[in-house]
Amino acid sequence: MSEAHTAIAQPTISDFARTFRRIQAEIHKAIIGHEEAVEELLAALFAGGHVLIEGVPGTGKTTLVKTLGLALNLSFGRIQFTVDLMPADITGTRVILSAADGHREFSFQPGPIFCHILLGDEINRATPKTQSALLEAMAELQVTVGATTYPLAPPYFVMATLNPIEMEGTYPLPEAQLDRFLFKVRLAYPGEEELVRIITATTGPEASGVEPVFAAGEAAAKIESLKRLVREVLVAPQIEQYAARMVRATQPHNSRALGDLRNRVKIDAVDRYVSFGSSPRGALALIMGAKVRAMLDGRANVAYDDIDRLAHAALEHRIMLNYAAHSDNVDAAQIVDQVVRAIRATRA
Amino acid sequence: MPESRRDEQKLWLILFQIRSIRSRLNLLAAQQWLFTTLALMIGGAALILIAAAKLGPFGFLGVSFAVFLVVASGIFAAARRGWAARVDVARAAGLADRRADLKGRLTTVLALSESAKQAQLWPFLVEDTYAMRDDFEPRRIEPRLVSRSLGALLAALLLALLALPDLNRGGAMARQIAAGRAAGGQVTADLSQLQIQPADPALQPNAQIYADPETLRRLQQKLAAEGSPHQRKGLGGLMDKARRFADAFQHQLTGRNSESGAPLNLRLTDRNPDHTPGGRNGGGQPRQMAKNSGDAGAHRGAAGAAANGRHAKRSGAPPPAAIPGSQADQMAKDSAGATSQPNQSSNSNQAGANDNANPPEQDAANDFGGANHGIGADPEHLFGPPAPQPFGSDSFKIAIDAEPSDEASAPGSPAYLPPKVRVPLNPNQLPDEPIARAAVPAGEQTIIKRVFDR
Repeated sequence: MSEAHTAIAQPTISDFARTFRRIQAEIHKAIIGHEEAVEELLAALFAGGHVLIEGVPGTGKTTLVKTLGLALNLSFGRIQFTVDLMPADITGTRVILSAADGHREFSFQPGPIFCHILLGDEINRATPKTQSALLEAMAELQVTVGATTYPLAPPYFVMATLNPIEMEGTYPLPEAQLDRFLFKVRLAYPGEEELVRIITATTGPEASGVEPVFAAGEAAAKIESLKRLVREVLVAPQIEQYAARMVRATQPHNSRALGDLRNRVKIDAVDRYVSFGSSPRGALALIMGAKVRAMLDGRANVAYDDIDRLAHAALEHRIMLNYAAHSDNVDAAQIVDQVVRAIRATRA
Repeated sequence: MPESRRDEQKLWLILFQIRSIRSRLNLLAAQQWLFTTLALMIGGAALILIAAAKLGPFGFLGVSFAVFLVVASGIFAAARRGWAARVDVARAAGLADRRADLKGRLTTVLALSESAKQAQLWPFLVEDTYAMRDDFEPRRIEPRLVSRSLGALLAALLLALLALPDLNRGGAMARQIAAGRAAGGQVTADLSQLQIQPADPALQPNAQIYADPETLRRLQQKLAAEGSPHQRKGLGGLMDKARRFADAFQHQLTGRNSESGAPLNLRLTDRNPDHTPGGRNGGGQPRQMAKNSGDAGAHRGAAGAAANGRHAKRSGAPPPAAIPGSQADQMAKDSAGATSQPNQSSNSNQAGANDNANPPEQDAANDFGGANHGIGADPEHLFGPPAPQPFGSDSFKIAIDAEPSDEASAPGSPAYLPPKVRVPLNPNQLPDEPIARAAVPAGEQTIIKRVFDR
């Protein structure tokens, strides 16, 4: 390996951490508290995934997403999901346009999905048909309208908000769509100190003053280069096995036979309360998020702790609970807690 | 030096350090296994030796078995633990990662050292890990060079050192026997009081038993009746086998064999030749006899032979047989001499003292039973040739309790009527003649009437 190569790699990791912290700092100009949520949000961005943000009204979900768009200086789109929203309202549609010479032709008018950062506000208020309009864009970065497929410009980052308490008139997200969100970020009520700071910051005459971290023309390219760097982070086979074991542990019928005989893991809660465990996308989410965390820590390798710290964000929304869980008031966070505890004991 | 070669050297140093950690951990695991195994073996052997020196065969056998179980299971557990503590290079790297908080750097370097050399961040990882090489030096990952189980080995050795003097001193029972030997080397036992059972601890085989042929014959009968230890079956037989095995093993361990001590002379007597050997009463009755006959002997010096007969009858034992005067005299001397024997009872000593207090002619006349009345009486002369009875000697009496009976001794024959014998009355007796009612005092008439009414 050449001296030049080392010289490039070293600053790149430092650059990544520095850029990440700068974006964080800009977001926290408008968002008080929620440090972990912001970090997970940015980790999902640099890991190339999308985020589902869940929180009660007034916790800053929409503000967080808008602030991120401002800080990254990327094109920003917003869709307010309602029950009568149609897929074409998201993806765009073909309309007849009249030219100056009177000639009429069908022309594709892109919907709000064509942007770098998309905010899907209260996504669960739209019908599943409409929600599914996002699937292709989120997974393949392309939109198919009619017979034509339109690519989306990277970076493409979808952030959908979800209100967990107003369930009337809402449609639960299809599992397939839930699975396409890399992380699910929870925004809890702020603490007293945070609430005071929010009052002070939002009721005064001064605006938050969020400044873009990147210049307008180079934001997309820089973010893409940082995303590529994240993929270069090295992962030992033991760590990959650890992530795979953790994902399999969330699956009801696999939780009994994990690893070799010495490290057999039995998680009763999974068998009892889980209908469907995490898909393989959960393992990818764990590894990609862990890579971002490793770079933030100045490392070129993933550690076990990186996986553990992202387990909740990556696995909770991928676990489908059964009626027994609802009746016993057991949520996915408790299941993931047990899974992480059990799998931690199997570390090499 | 080219940069790539320098990176290779750094990688080699990192891998070398990981292998050093592995060697150190494996050395400790091997030490732990070795020291624990040795400690268990030495400690177990020391405990067995102490048990051999201090306990009887059954105690020794029990302790040895328990120690054997503990040591065997301990050795097995130590082997398992040592095998589990053995680490390969990957595990050593993981351990070093945890202990030095390297966040998986060593694990990743080791796992990807062959496959990830073309990765963009590989040089950064090697450089980063190499910069932390001081954190994962073998002596920082595992500071100890010697396993803590060495302490257990030292403790076991100390226990073994403590066990050696005990081994030389021998057991307490052996000391008692040796003391018996030093006191005269002669022990006298009575056959009727002899309960034959396997010894615990076993007597050393150089004890010599001698007695007159008749007593030896009775001893053989008694052995046959009570069952020889070699002939017992079932649980008893197994116990005997275990005892013999433990005894032999104990002797091997302690080095005390049958030739090591002076011979012990066990003189056997038969003070009760009519007693049927064996049976459930055979063991308990002689003790009672010994006690009562001892009492009888103590009193007989004053009360005479009739009293002796009554005592014997009360105790359920048959009345003593006639003993010649010279023999009784010899027995009295033996009884006096028996006071010096440590195994004599107090009764016998008292009896001997009483007997000696009488003049010789009175001894000859009354104290023939002195040989009978105590455990400590030396009955040797009982078994000598009987001395000729002097003609007309009336030095003893035989008391016969006889009552008149209406039954004839043979069918058809007249019933036995005892002859009327007139004997002189003592001063407190009145002749058995009817008296006139009026001669009875008034106060006594009332008493007599009340007695008859009742």
